[in-house]
Amino acid sequence: MNTSLLRMLMCCLLLLPLFSAGQDSASIYTAQLLQPPADSVRSQAIGRLAALRIPATFPLLMAINDKKLYLLDQKAVTIDSHPSSEGTYRLYSLYPDNTLLTNSSGQPLLLQLSALKTVDIPRADRLQLASIAPLFNLFSNDPQKRTLAYSQLKHTGDSATLRTLKAALARESNTDALRTGKEALYAMQLYNVSTTAIAKAYIDSIADNWSDNAPVLLRDYARSGFLNQETAQYAAAKAVGLEKRYDNLQRVQHFFSGLSLGSILVLIALGLSIVYGLAGIINMAHGEFMMIGAYTTYCTQVIFTKALGIPQTDLFFFFALPFSFLVAGSLGWVLERLVIRHLYAKPLESLLATWGVSLILIQTARLLFGDLTAVKTPQLLAGGWQVSPHLTLPYNRLFIIALSILMVLFTYLMLYRTRLGLQIRSVTQNRQMSACLGIETRRVASITFFIGSGLAGLAGCAITLIGNVVPDMGQTYIVDSFLVVVTGGVGKLAGTILSGLGIGFFTKISESFFQAVYGKVFILVFIMLFMQYKPKGLFPDKGRIAED
Amino acid sequence: MKTKNNILLYILFIAFFAILLPAGYLTGLLSVNTISVWGRYFCFAIAALGIDLIWGYTGILSMCQAFFFCLGSYGIAMHLLLKKTVAAGAALPDFMAWNKIETLPFFWQPFHSFGWSVILCLLIPAAFAFIIGLVLFRSRIKGVYMAIITQALTLAMWLIFLRNETNLGGTNGLTDFNSILGYSLSASSVKLALYLVSLAVLCTAYYCCYRITHSKFGKVLQAIRDSESRVSYTAYKVVDYKLAVFVVAALLAAVGGMLYLPQTGIITPGRMDVKASVEMVMWVALGGRGNLKGAVIGALLVNFLYSICTSLFPDSWLFILGFLFVITVLYFDKGFMGLGDTIRQKFSATRLKTSQTH
Repeated sequence: MNTSLLRMLMCCLLLLPLFSAGQDSASIYTAQLLQPPADSVRSQAIGRLAALRIPATFPLLMAINDKKLYLLDQKAVTIDSHPSSEGTYRLYSLYPDNTLLTNSSGQPLLLQLSALKTVDIPRADRLQLASIAPLFNLFSNDPQKRTLAYSQLKHTGDSATLRTLKAALARESNTDALRTGKEALYAMQLYNVSTTAIAKAYIDSIADNWSDNAPVLLRDYARSGFLNQETAQYAAAKAVGLEKRYDNLQRVQHFFSGLSLGSILVLIALGLSIVYGLAGIINMAHGEFMMIGAYTTYCTQVIFTKALGIPQTDLFFFFALPFSFLVAGSLGWVLERLVIRHLYAKPLESLLATWGVSLILIQTARLLFGDLTAVKTPQLLAGGWQVSPHLTLPYNRLFIIALSILMVLFTYLMLYRTRLGLQIRSVTQNRQMSACLGIETRRVASITFFIGSGLAGLAGCAITLIGNVVPDMGQTYIVDSFLVVVTGGVGKLAGTILSGLGIGFFTKISESFFQAVYGKVFILVFIMLFMQYKPKGLFPDKGRIAED
Repeated sequence: MKTKNNILLYILFIAFFAILLPAGYLTGLLSVNTISVWGRYFCFAIAALGIDLIWGYTGILSMCQAFFFCLGSYGIAMHLLLKKTVAAGAALPDFMAWNKIETLPFFWQPFHSFGWSVILCLLIPAAFAFIIGLVLFRSRIKGVYMAIITQALTLAMWLIFLRNETNLGGTNGLTDFNSILGYSLSASSVKLALYLVSLAVLCTAYYCCYRITHSKFGKVLQAIRDSESRVSYTAYKVVDYKLAVFVVAALLAAVGGMLYLPQTGIITPGRMDVKASVEMVMWVALGGRGNLKGAVIGALLVNFLYSICTSLFPDSWLFILGFLFVITVLYFDKGFMGLGDTIRQKFSATRLKTSQTH
């Protein structure tokens, strides 16, 4: 290791004068490029710069390649990739240094495109840069572009490429790009070493670094039999090990997706189950309360950004959570008053009437909002918790899981620790008897409906984090959540949680074996067989109340 | 008095649809498309009779009738498509060639012959209904549970039919047929004939259902609806009765589907999605359940309304349908056919009230 370090140092020392010589010629060519006496001169200058590969000229070459070369007071500048909200751009100087331009007070200089003079470089000239595009893209400001450039480097690169790569890695800040870049570096070096021990060390480095491409790279190396049989076998074994670890992580990922899907189902089915248990109402419009919650979130976002003029804030989402609960809950309460109240203990009729209500709600949403809207995910919940390089748990899903746990807890406390909960449970068990004992069953029913619909609204608000908001979004979940209720046993908190999570897991796990559709069929068959064994769900009522 | 009324109604119905409408077409007052549209509604009415048997008379809300309807349609569609393919000299239907399938899937083979197609169109839904019914009724799943599970089943089948791998045309379904039994489907006379056949089958189905409901078997079905546990205490095998009526309902739906296909010329999985299956139940609810006339009239009326509303004000059809659902369930429990009774009852009730207060 020491010897290679020494060699690198010597290389650098030897190259120093060369670099400065290159610097001089670079400024000449740059000047020629910007104010060419003739087109042929410019073409030649670009060709020379491409051949010289001087890192200091890379920003300039990149600007040419991306067609973003502009003149500002005869100085070559380029613009940011995205404009600001007023349509202005930040500017960067290109040669000899690559810095952000500032105005006299030290603030970044912002200009419209019209204030700049575009420099047109013909396509034929730009094509000369194609071969070294991966090289100068290593210095791009865009991490994704850099990652792509790293991955495009071949392990057969020459020493100049290696040098550039090292320079790029020295200033690399993005973790993904760094990982890809390191792999390119190790791969290049792996194909240059001649001793088994060092080769193995590089193979280890590649395996430890573990980018997406690592197993393929190691397998290619093993197949080429580049150094000897021993290193080839070593690389193959490492590749297998990596793939196995990857599979395990994939399993964890599936487990996690199952958990998050299950928690959404629990969130929806919770309200459904309470309402069904209490009033014997099949609320087909329950999914639409979820839709209402989602649209409430959307409206809150619009109000915050448009009416109140607070752009770029996460605040709206945290206001939307209680709003969606209240709006969906109130509408549920209204529905109970107008329609559901007349249908108690007529479950099949209630199914049809609430289906009608859901049609009306869907069509209303379609007329009001159009077919597709989306809520911007709050910055706070974007991204994910990177447990390991290949396992990222998205924050939005973690948030949904946390929200469901919270809501289950809340529902549990409400049902088992409050007077209202006691009343709800007693009405669920026997409506007439409760009425005889002085419980206002109608009032209890409307409050329950309010809470149940509110929970669905909250679920809708949570779903905006992971999907679009469409008028018929409720229908995709309604059948599933009814299955959850049926499997769990009606009006049973524990049953709902268990079967919701179970169906969520099952869906995700079977999706990894079969295709999504067959997974769904499989679950259905499973539930039907399960009902053979437990027709009243996971937690049936015991004793005389079980008989109708 | 009542039977007299009924007979008058039947005569009016047959006179209107079997004589007046075809006469209108022959004299050039009605286009052949109008005739064909009514022919389609008859197919829906046949399926609605099945729903009335199982829901109105036996009290089992089955949401998979749309699936049985589609099974019938798909069977005939497969036969028509194969005939067309063979006539064109191709080895495979177009959509299969596009999906890069080389040999005809095994389950398409029997559909070369018309006879086998018809038999299978009836046999497959019956077998499905038998298996589903056996599993569900044996475990005493009823009421809401039954509705949800059959709905989920339809959803699962819908998802399967949407796939391309099942070789049933995927989302686009099966379409583009040219002839049935050698007669061109685009000919007006064939359309009229199909219309008349549908009407005849509807009348036959109605007669059969009428006989069923007025037989001892039908009485047991209604007893099951009113109190299942008492029927089983009196040593009736409730499961067998339910299973039988479930199979009959599935067959009726399949027959409706079989007749429906040549008149529309296309079948897609959209005919059996959640919306379609609830809507089929709604026909019966709107017409009046537990009343065979109600089922027929409900199916005809809703579909007729649908065609009027979607052309006049397309945006509001769902509003109208939704309100119809809610209002029917809330106020007209007996549906359209029971409208007169309901109003009379309300009327006499209010009169009673006012006379009491005075």
